[in-house]
Amino acid sequence: MLDPDISTAEARRLLSRPDALGDVLGPRGWTRRKFLQAVGGGVLGGAALNSLGPGQFGLGHLGFDLHEAFAATPIGGHDGIVVNIVLYGGNDGLNTVVPYTNGKYYDSRGPGHGNLAIPADQVLPLDGTFGLHPSLGYTKRLWDAGQLAIVHGVGYPNPDLSHFTSMAIWMNARFGSGPASTGWVGRWLDGQPAATADLMAATIGSSVPLHLIGAVRRAVAVPENGDGMFGTGTDPAEVRMFTGLRSFSASPAGRGPWHDMFASVLKTQLDLATDVSPVYSPAPTGDGFVKKMTVAARLINANLGFRVLDLGLDGFDTHDGQPLNHADLLTQLDTGLATFFSTLDAAFYSRVTVVTMSEFGRTPFSNDSSGTDHGTANVQFVMGPNIKGGHYGQPSSFNTIVDQWDRFDMTTDFRHVLGTVIDGWMGGDASTILNGQYENLGFFLTGPGDPPPSGGIPPLITPPSSPTEFVSMNPRRLFDTRDGTGGRLGPLGPGESWPFTIRGQHGVPTGAIAVALNLTAVDASGPTYVTAWPGGQPRPTTSNLNPVPGMAVPNLAIIRLGNAGDVNFFNNSGTVNLLADVVGYFQDGTSVGMAPLAPARLIDTREGRGALGPGEMLDLQVAGRGGVSTSPEAVALNVTVTGPTAGSFLTVWPSGEPRPFASSVNMVPGQTVPNMVLTRVGANGMVSIYNNSGSTDVVVDVLGCFDADAAGRYVALSPRRVLDTRDGLGAPLAQVGQTPLEVTLLGRGGVPTSGVSGVMLNVTAVTPTRDTYVTVYPGGGDRPTASNLNVSVGQVIPNMVLARIGPEGTVLMYNNGGVVDLVADVVGYFTD
Amino acid sequence: MAVSDDDLAHLLRRTEFVVRPSRLAELKLLDLTTYDAVVDNVLNTGLNGTPALPAYFQSEDPVSNWDQYVAACSFWVNNMLNTARPFQEKMTLFWHGHFVSAWWDVGKGFHLMQQIQTYRENALGNFHTLTQKMAIDRAMLVYLSNAENVKGSPNQNFARELMELFTLGVGNYAESDVEASARAWTGYNADWPAYVYQFYPGRHDAGLKTFFGTTKAWTGPQIIDEILLDNASKKLIAARYITKKLWEFLAHPSPPPGVLDALAPAFAADMNLHNLVRSILVRPEFYSTTAKQGLVRTPIEYIVALCYYAGLTPENLGVSWRAESTGQQMYQPPNVSGWRPNAYWLNTSAVAGRADFARSATWQLRDNGGFDNLYVMTAANAVDYVANFFGIYPLSTTTRTALINARSAEPNKWWAATNLLTMTMLAPEFHMA
Repeated sequence: MLDPDISTAEARRLLSRPDALGDVLGPRGWTRRKFLQAVGGGVLGGAALNSLGPGQFGLGHLGFDLHEAFAATPIGGHDGIVVNIVLYGGNDGLNTVVPYTNGKYYDSRGPGHGNLAIPADQVLPLDGTFGLHPSLGYTKRLWDAGQLAIVHGVGYPNPDLSHFTSMAIWMNARFGSGPASTGWVGRWLDGQPAATADLMAATIGSSVPLHLIGAVRRAVAVPENGDGMFGTGTDPAEVRMFTGLRSFSASPAGRGPWHDMFASVLKTQLDLATDVSPVYSPAPTGDGFVKKMTVAARLINANLGFRVLDLGLDGFDTHDGQPLNHADLLTQLDTGLATFFSTLDAAFYSRVTVVTMSEFGRTPFSNDSSGTDHGTANVQFVMGPNIKGGHYGQPSSFNTIVDQWDRFDMTTDFRHVLGTVIDGWMGGDASTILNGQYENLGFFLTGPGDPPPSGGIPPLITPPSSPTEFVSMNPRRLFDTRDGTGGRLGPLGPGESWPFTIRGQHGVPTGAIAVALNLTAVDASGPTYVTAWPGGQPRPTTSNLNPVPGMAVPNLAIIRLGNAGDVNFFNNSGTVNLLADVVGYFQDGTSVGMAPLAPARLIDTREGRGALGPGEMLDLQVAGRGGVSTSPEAVALNVTVTGPTAGSFLTVWPSGEPRPFASSVNMVPGQTVPNMVLTRVGANGMVSIYNNSGSTDVVVDVLGCFDADAAGRYVALSPRRVLDTRDGLGAPLAQVGQTPLEVTLLGRGGVPTSGVSGVMLNVTAVTPTRDTYVTVYPGGGDRPTASNLNVSVGQVIPNMVLARIGPEGTVLMYNNGGVVDLVADVVGYFTD
Repeated sequence: MAVSDDDLAHLLRRTEFVVRPSRLAELKLLDLTTYDAVVDNVLNTGLNGTPALPAYFQSEDPVSNWDQYVAACSFWVNNMLNTARPFQEKMTLFWHGHFVSAWWDVGKGFHLMQQIQTYRENALGNFHTLTQKMAIDRAMLVYLSNAENVKGSPNQNFARELMELFTLGVGNYAESDVEASARAWTGYNADWPAYVYQFYPGRHDAGLKTFFGTTKAWTGPQIIDEILLDNASKKLIAARYITKKLWEFLAHPSPPPGVLDALAPAFAADMNLHNLVRSILVRPEFYSTTAKQGLVRTPIEYIVALCYYAGLTPENLGVSWRAESTGQQMYQPPNVSGWRPNAYWLNTSAVAGRADFARSATWQLRDNGGFDNLYVMTAANAVDYVANFFGIYPLSTTTRTALINARSAEPNKWWAATNLLTMTMLAPEFHMA
């Protein structure tokens, strides 16, 4: 029920009233835009139609205007650009900027009230009073860089709870009463030079909302998918057709205003296609909103003259199911912001300001559908390098919030925010545009084009990578902090972050986007955790290893490379040695695809064969088994050792090739240890498994197949936590028993909502009440005989899991015994 | 006053999507001294025998929601094309844009198909009856959250839209009326997992509520009765609201002064939609130049016209996946307020979406030597031939000149014919309803 075109709805309703602006529809002096507006319903609509009548339009003198130039004109060096993001449906400001130390917040939304409150330990704290929703990681970076102004208590007097009316008031943004027939950006456009106004404002989408419609001008609509956009063809015969189509509007046809408007819009589309077609190459990727933000940034980079770009993000009317839905939406917003700033050419940094708006906030109290209802005062973001970060306005008080339907009083009129933006950034007469005096909130440090005092864009959380192919390598030791291999001798200390450059070295080419490492922690001085993440990015709240003294814990880590080709390793407490083998990398390409499989068991040496002895080697047929193709390039296996009699390691490699010096699974006596292994398959369709010393049973399950014929490509993400049963993230706050836990992965943690076959997850089992194993398998499917994690009482064991997604976008996690907490971090996904 | 050919063509375009020559001939045999006979003929939807919903849409997901969606698009467009009196389908489209639910929001497509079937069956029935049916329709229960509206925690979603969008319009009720109505509708939920409507007395708030000034233990259906039957001033407001919306759907935006005053009281008295629509279609203002030039074909109407004139099927044109770019997806209104007319459809992206349909249809028409006969015609004859093929008569001088010039300017005869087809499908004349 979310409304990208909500403005249009309201415009139409209000068009039946005369325009209080008193726009003069004189018989002379029409411009093409004025004509479009007069007939288009955008301004006067039906009223104009009726009062003038089709016969009275006097269109003859419009002919010359219809030939008006439609030309791209680069903007000046001190022309500001505003990116306006509309959060349609009414964003819940209270869970966006969380008053996490205010008990009344937890009273109105805590247990017994829908449990919508964001726990204090999960917010991204800004100060001792407010924290951002945990999905707003990049937005937090903007705050840390002093580039985020948060305006509190934003609204307008006598708030209206209708989406339509309230959105119209926001879009119209005029002081005083009167119908909302034009919008604030539109009235700014009205004051711009006719020669360039056509390409000064665009909405990314398929309809022009009210705030972009002026009395005589309106913004253009630029689709987010421009691939093959009509009008971009270059065949000479097609170009001649476009010329012919343009001449449908050569003169009024005498068939009424709508006829002429259709002809005119068709011509505008053809002109627009010529100008903007370059921004669609290469094709933008990602979810709808992320794609829109990419197109917006590219339109700015193309310097066609755009000074306002408008985007909508839909779905904020969270009457029910708010916790997951709202987190998803804010993730999209946050990813979109990161994508925008990473796409934007540095030449434009100092000229861009990003503003959010939404028709209203939501009720402080939750309803009983795990949602919130239409509210009033809200928070508004203004972002950019020239912004003076901080809090503005007065936060709404909880003092008046007593029962279910109480709503916040507003403290800051939203027109103060827009007036500050118009005069401070767009250059216009805000008092005229807004029809009244506004209070300058003072959140601009400098004018557009001036060097940003805060020093540019903060480090970015990189948007999803392009689709990649996997290249498996013979395992190769990258580093071992016990002996100085790789250049570091000595364990990681408490709280230490250690950067390590991989790309362009160690057999990993310069085109690599992500690497697969087998990472092992040894000699931990106490319980700790280790996080691996892309260089140049903030450390995420995820983990890869949970070492404890006396154990050698291996885990496959698939890590996106930072811009400098580096990754970071972090040790939380005590000291720990790390060693890593690189087993492959992901690069741009399409020659090898991936098919995630439902887990299938390939061998269990406890059944028949018997344990592998010291120095013994096993050849295991994988081609053609368990869903693997007959000629796989590589496979993803989960290899588990159980009942080892000595400290030892397994090496897994392509059959028929020399055994590399590398370990796939490390073990200590008596310990059951699983690890995911990515390995090439030998020419004979087999992989070899070698046990160094002692004897151990080995269990192998197959999780995925890399093959030239498979369609799936890997998209690397920055790691993000998507499940933590200890605090109710992604699942109820409850330990997992023997009922499989269904976890939604589509649309979460940067994974898109469709086109995904499998997700690469790091799953950690936390302190089970008895020895158990965990199996991850596609939602809706039967549980296979396979396991991903083996964990003993009280242990914390992680393992990488390649999880195939069920038809509903979920996976099931089964715990075989007792109860256990489960945590999962997503690091990437496979396309289908 | 005699009914002109132009009037008949206008009536058919607005009620039956396109002007079928056979229908035009039928109407011309009737009494043309007034609009009564031809309008009654168009409204005789009883002839259709309501098209049955295929078994495919009567139960849970036999294949996939998407496959059902593709079939649902074809089913509806084919009904619009092939029923004896397509006005039933046109009104079904109206109700779909009025009591909105949306396929992908409801989640189960077959629930939405059954809602659409209810519109089909009640297209020209009683508005009060239809409103009561919609209040407990399972697609609506999900779409506007009444399925979750329970005592102690009322959900206002349906209660608000019932008055704001479905019956009265904004400004004709107070916030306290929304709150009272939300409480009255508690307990009118859906069972799980079938999502069949069920009233749960234990979840219903049977306490006293004050609605439009009357304090009593209001139930949900009593709220609708109050708005549409019992409260004389409110039901007149509702009647005006629906009369205006129908006028704007069938004739043109902003009804002329006097029309609502003339038509709404009778509708308030009987809530009879057949009578209301008939009274609209026989008004002389319906045949004014303002009306005849007053509406742009919606994308769905454009698609129906393309299928009809080009002899293509919805599958040929890829309606299920391609229509989104025109701004109108079948079974998926953008929000609870439905679609808007005219300027709403006329923006660059949406017009480019229409062009993509025209290009697709062109390639299909040109297969197997289609329209090779244009090669031997003069430019003017070829232009008139193609315009006639698409039911455009007559072309405006502006468009005709543009088409003739383009045809003459194209040296390659294959491209000249091909581009003439695309351009005619993009002629403004073809996009006027």
